[in-house]
Amino acid sequence: MDAARRSVEGRGKTVDDAILDALTKLGASREAVDIEVLTEGSRGVWGIGAEDARVRAVLKASPRPAAPPRQARVAVAEPEIPPGASEAEIARRVVATLVSKMGLHADVVIAEPPESTASSEETQGEPPIVVDIRGDDLGILIGRRGETLRDLQFIARLIVSRKVGHWPNLVVDVQAYRQHREQALTQLARRMADKVRLTRQPVSLEPMPPNERRIVHLALRDDPYVMTQSTGEGEARKVVIYPRT
Amino acid sequence: MQELIEYIARSLVDHPEDVRVTETSGAHAVIYELRVRPADKGWVIGRQGRVANAMRTLLRVASTRKRRRAILEIV
Repeated sequence: MDAARRSVEGRGKTVDDAILDALTKLGASREAVDIEVLTEGSRGVWGIGAEDARVRAVLKASPRPAAPPRQARVAVAEPEIPPGASEAEIARRVVATLVSKMGLHADVVIAEPPESTASSEETQGEPPIVVDIRGDDLGILIGRRGETLRDLQFIARLIVSRKVGHWPNLVVDVQAYRQHREQALTQLARRMADKVRLTRQPVSLEPMPPNERRIVHLALRDDPYVMTQSTGEGEARKVVIYPRT
Repeated sequence: MQELIEYIARSLVDHPEDVRVTETSGAHAVIYELRVRPADKGWVIGRQGRVANAMRTLLRVASTRKRRRAILEIV
């Protein structure tokens, strides 16, 4: 690497932009350079008198291999995530940030994936990353029929996927709600299957979200006396347990 | 609240530096307007508005604690 490229000046509307500009010029990742802020810049009033922020980026003695610009950008935008963090740790931090910005106080921990039939048999190999939110009065995070938790998990997955570059196998839980729900649903499914076997009449369960219907289907998959099917559309979709003929 | 929307939007778009959220207070509701680069709109709206609606859910949770209805508009 030639000496001229070891140090560059970056410019931008904000210090972060200026750092990004410098990293792009160097083709280096954030952790491979030392940054010196030359001027913080100012926004001016309605763009009048605005001054660019300027930084000097100096490549460290033994730089890591250059990261693609996308990673550099993410590192600049979210400095709270240390480089080299595991996917689980990234997920934990994303969920913790979301929860705190929602104005809730809670601990966010990486939990053991459940040893349940429903999740381990289907997703062969790779167990999911489970991030559990723990604290008082967190029912608000679960919502009616788990809708809020579902949306929180969706947003968290999406953000993590943008950071790690693939769709993460991430489960967000609140006070192990999903785990308890899974046990309760499995028990319910077995009880109703017994009823169907004895009465030889189909039984339909309450409407449930897709992940919960899946738990019921899986719980009764190997039952020789009953079979299950989902009927109804959207919010009203529910599992019906039929006697096997 | 504004920070929540900003954090989510900045984490998703290709140009986080162009994410802007403005807040307008009404009598019973607060309206948040989220602006991103036109090319980034898909990231904050999502297929069939899934991302936008999920953001609204989280916003609703955060705002019911303050007894103020929050409305999110992507412009």
